[in-house]
Amino acid sequence: MDEEEEIRIGVYVCHCGLNIGATVDCEEVAEHAKTLDDVVYAEHQMYTCSEPGQQQIRDDIKEHRLNRVVVASCSPKLHEETFRNACEEAGLNKYLLEMANIREHCSWVHLHEKEGATDKAKDLVAMAVAKARLLRPQIEKKVPVRKSAMVIGGGVAGIQAALDLGDCGYKVYLVEKEASIGGRMAQIDKTFPTMDCSICILAPKMSEIGRHPNVEVLTNATVRHIDGYIGNFSVLISQKTRYVTDECTVCGDCTDVCPVTTPNEFDLGLTTRKGIYIPFPQAIPSSFIVDMDLCLNEANVRACNKCIEACERECIDFDMDPEKEIQIEVGTIIVATGMKSFDPRGLEEYGYGRYPDVLTTLEFERLINASGPTEGHLIRPSDGEQPKNVAFIQCVGSRTEDRGNPYCSNICCMETIKDALLIKEHWPEIEITVFYMDIRAFGKGFEDLYKRAREEGARFIRGLPFDIKKNPDGTLRVRGENTTLQEIYDTDFGMVILSVGLEPQDDKEDIQRLLNISTDSNGFFLEAHPKLKPIDTPTGGVFLAGTAEAPKDIKDSVTQASAAASRANRLMIRGEVTVEALTPIIDAELCTGCGACEKVCPYGAITADKEAKLATVVEAACAGCGTCGAQCPTGAITMRHFTDDQIMAQIDHALERDPQDKVLVFACNWCSYAGADLAGVSRMQYPTSSRVIRLMCSGRVAEKFVMRAFEKGAAAVLVSGCHLQDCHYISANQQTLKRVKRWKKKLEKKGIDPDRLQLEWISAAEGDRFASKMKEMHEIVSQVTAKDIGKTKKALKAKA
Amino acid sequence: MASDSEPKAVDPAFTKSVVDKGADTVTLCFQCGTCTGGCPSGRVTAFRTRKMMRRVQLGFKDEVLPAEELWLCTTCTTCDERCPRGVKITDIIMTLRNMAVREGYMAEAHKNTARSLMKSGHAIPLGDAFRKMRETLGLHSEPPTVLSDKEALDEVKKIIKATHFDELVG
Repeated sequence: MDEEEEIRIGVYVCHCGLNIGATVDCEEVAEHAKTLDDVVYAEHQMYTCSEPGQQQIRDDIKEHRLNRVVVASCSPKLHEETFRNACEEAGLNKYLLEMANIREHCSWVHLHEKEGATDKAKDLVAMAVAKARLLRPQIEKKVPVRKSAMVIGGGVAGIQAALDLGDCGYKVYLVEKEASIGGRMAQIDKTFPTMDCSICILAPKMSEIGRHPNVEVLTNATVRHIDGYIGNFSVLISQKTRYVTDECTVCGDCTDVCPVTTPNEFDLGLTTRKGIYIPFPQAIPSSFIVDMDLCLNEANVRACNKCIEACERECIDFDMDPEKEIQIEVGTIIVATGMKSFDPRGLEEYGYGRYPDVLTTLEFERLINASGPTEGHLIRPSDGEQPKNVAFIQCVGSRTEDRGNPYCSNICCMETIKDALLIKEHWPEIEITVFYMDIRAFGKGFEDLYKRAREEGARFIRGLPFDIKKNPDGTLRVRGENTTLQEIYDTDFGMVILSVGLEPQDDKEDIQRLLNISTDSNGFFLEAHPKLKPIDTPTGGVFLAGTAEAPKDIKDSVTQASAAASRANRLMIRGEVTVEALTPIIDAELCTGCGACEKVCPYGAITADKEAKLATVVEAACAGCGTCGAQCPTGAITMRHFTDDQIMAQIDHALERDPQDKVLVFACNWCSYAGADLAGVSRMQYPTSSRVIRLMCSGRVAEKFVMRAFEKGAAAVLVSGCHLQDCHYISANQQTLKRVKRWKKKLEKKGIDPDRLQLEWISAAEGDRFASKMKEMHEIVSQVTAKDIGKTKKALKAKA
Repeated sequence: MASDSEPKAVDPAFTKSVVDKGADTVTLCFQCGTCTGGCPSGRVTAFRTRKMMRRVQLGFKDEVLPAEELWLCTTCTTCDERCPRGVKITDIIMTLRNMAVREGYMAEAHKNTARSLMKSGHAIPLGDAFRKMRETLGLHSEPPTVLSDKEALDEVKKIIKATHFDELVG
């Protein structure tokens, strides 16, 4: 675009029905927009995102010769793409659109402050217009997408995703940390609501994947490192060796002679296994494996030869390398790392771990499984007798504030109902009592199963037991209140089964860091949008499937796995993807080749040549965080779409009116801005004093931005970003931490209260944290006097 | 109190007034019954902790404040320990008791204790047996408290008047 070209901005203020319109006076905001520089057209609409709304923008671009568009509506995370497309369809480069978030950041969080919210909306529009005046068209780069995928986790979700992608013709690596794929589903006896034998329906899928020409199953394997970006991930995997070659026919001669035993993990310790073993009969790979932690042999010590002597095919080899590293290149990644069940040991009132006849639901699944410890007989672990009556206790570790997890675990009601029916099917004489507070039988066929359990005679009593005590005769006394009769019960049972909830895996944080994805407050992986992007993560090319995302049953896990495969396929089938034009441009005139940028780049994407006095950017490696731009001492770096001038203009307009009452907030795109959006969606109310500027990373915040804000008279400034370990640009926020500490010292030296500058890490899941920080910042504002601000302005000007 | 056959009077302002007095966690209760199940008082009396919480949630003021059960809680906090929702049950009961007293509902035994406090400055009056025991131990029959200090007792009475404690007892 010609530099001399006249800037013509169109502003659209959206009512979003009553979502914005009931709080913000949209007409007044549109009128105010008309008074802003270079705005040639402004109006307010009921729904700007609707087809007529978009058509209006397209028409106006032509009719009013608009060359910049500002939409004041919801979060850009929701509709920036929509309006960018509308601009492009009218021939306007999509980077000439700017949005003002007057819904999540304004109307929804100031529901009862119409005046303050309208005033704030005016500022947010003025900031967007100020940035829009300086926007430049950008050309996006296309990067190739490799036609290969990695699926992490070999449970039913991972298996389904890998099968779907393999069937589409892509090379798939299925990485599983255990010795066999199969996951939790392999341990379960029957599935609800159809009462299918779990392993009978899973095993065919397992063997299908084992022999699939496009799928490589890597068991005993852990993902160590991931580099790269959407379409081009380099993954380092380490795989522990089995010490058994592929020649193994699973005859079992080795395990018969093995002299060492340990509790069998697959049976949850209800049985034992040997040092050389197969995890379960249907395991894939179908091969024995040596547990080197248990085996008497060590790296160079041969203490026992029994298995080697027993193996006719000579498949056992203790000279194999204990671990090998595998490097793979993939275009997409699916995270299907699953869950674990809640450990009720901490709830001492139920006596789990003390009383052998108190079991968890997963232990019960193994107990009544035909290939389980009792070959399918329901007997008490304490004395081997069949119990006369069995109690189930619901919500163990679920829906509780500090005695487990706050969420409903989704599957436990139906699992108990199914288990109750299983008992009744085989042993109708055993009495069943289910203690519950709500039965959630919401899925297809669930209510039928619930009805059947009642028909078969299972008794449901509303009221959770207070505790369990062991009687001298070995039975278990369960006491509590029957809340419907308002009577106390004291009932003896032969066996009690705790219907335990689901929890995220222990290694969730490793996965989170490897992939730069977030977890919600419960530790499950966070989706890009809870309604419209439930499979995607904020990291491009990475998708979620199964219980790693939230507790869910087998059917939902399989559905989500196929959806994840479909999302990955959508990227890979096109073979290329456009990446946002956010990389830096170096001004050769200004650059001195000092290397300050090189030192702070988390990707090694910038190299400075001291002799040539010039830094160069490797665009394919750059992710666009802007940390280099904040560090450059000469202003030689221009961050595209987030330039210094654009940000300075936003600051100036945020603080044009009554700066002494305002908090200027710098928020990173991935975490803190999304956290602010969540506060909005959750309608968490906070004062109207904040004005947010969105940047890709907190590492983009430069000293001059902060100082400018104080010079303009801002009462307080907040820099916010992802938590230190969760930065979406590896470690760019480490720079933020260092810088803010330095700036605080600088402010103090100048006699300015350093507490007026705050730093806070807020994740995308921490809407409440954002809201409470806004209240805290407002407190700071109320303590800053006009005299303080006058002194600040003077002190900062003195230096300039 | 309304009998079971009559429709119960619902007073939403009552629930709000309990919440406003700091007992805001009462709204979180989902009636699992864990509290009643473990209540040592409820095992031998008609006190049903869960039911009390429910009545507050529903605004059944006339079934809460005059209720004798309100005074059957021993404030042992066992229910607080096990409540899955983090409802501060004992605190709520204390709040309700304060409200009940302000409305003129106080158990006769408590009234007697209060009267003793107003009269002698001690909640538990000193009996003749204790006086004798003090003398055999070589102590003055009246301990060096308000019991032997007329001026101090007058001050206690002043405080009781100033805080309107006497009006609560009636």
